Amino acid sequence: MFWLTPGNLKADVVAEAAQPVADQVLDCSGMACPLPVVKTSQAIKKIDPGQVLELLATDPGVEPDMRAWTTRTGNELLSIARQGDVFHVLIRRMK
Amino acid sequence: MWTGDLDSKVLYVQTHGVSDPGRSATPFFLAASAAAMECEVMIYFTMYGPTLLRKDVIDKIGPKGDHGQPLRYFIEQATGLGVRLLVCQPSLDLNDLRIGDLLDGVTMIGGAAFNDLAISADAVISF
Repeated sequence: MFWLTPGNLKADVVAEAAQPVADQVLDCSGMACPLPVVKTSQAIKKIDPGQVLELLATDPGVEPDMRAWTTRTGNELLSIARQGDVFHVLIRRMK
Repeated sequence: MWTGDLDSKVLYVQTHGVSDPGRSATPFFLAASAAAMECEVMIYFTMYGPTLLRKDVIDKIGPKGDHGQPLRYFIEQATGLGVRLLVCQPSLDLNDLRIGDLLDGVTMIGGAAFNDLAISADAVISF
C-alpha cells in the first residue's frame, strides 16, 4: 500500500491513520467529479456522529477535494491511502 | 433571497447557452460540489444562459452535444442538493423565451436582486 504524503506526513501519523475501522463503506470507484463529493455528503448524513465512513474513489482529484470538503463541513479527515488506482479515504462524522 | 442558514453563500453566473454545449455543464458541477460542502448556492442565468433551462432542450443536449449525459442529469444533480436557479427578464427576451418555456422551479429576478445577491455572497463565480 502506498500512503500519500501531503505536506510532511510523518510515520507515526501513518500508523495512527491505519487504525480506524469504517462503519460504512461508500464505493465511488469509476465516478468522476463531483460525484464522490456529492455522494460523500449524502453518505455522511446516514452514519452517526463519531462513526467513520470509508470512501473508495479512483478520481485523481479526490485527495484535495476531500481535504477541502472535510474542512468546510467540519468533519474529520482521518487518512487517505492509495492502493493501486483506488484511494481509500477515512472520514469521521463530527456533528 | 439568501436564507443565511448555511455558513457560506456562493453565486454562479452562467452566460453561455445551447450554442456552446461544452460550457453548459461545469457551473452545475461546481454548484453541486458547493452545495455538498454545505454552502448555500444559486446559479444566475443571463445573456444566453437561460437557453440551457428550456424544457424542450434539457433532454436533447449535454456538454458533449447530442451524445453523453444530457443537461437534465447535471441540472437535477445540482437542484437535488438544494441549488436554486435564477433568470432575469431581459435575458429571456433576448432569447425569445418566456418563463413557462423553462424548467419548473426557476425563479425570475431583476438586476437589483442580482446585485444584492452578489454583494452579500461570499463568492461570485462567472462563466
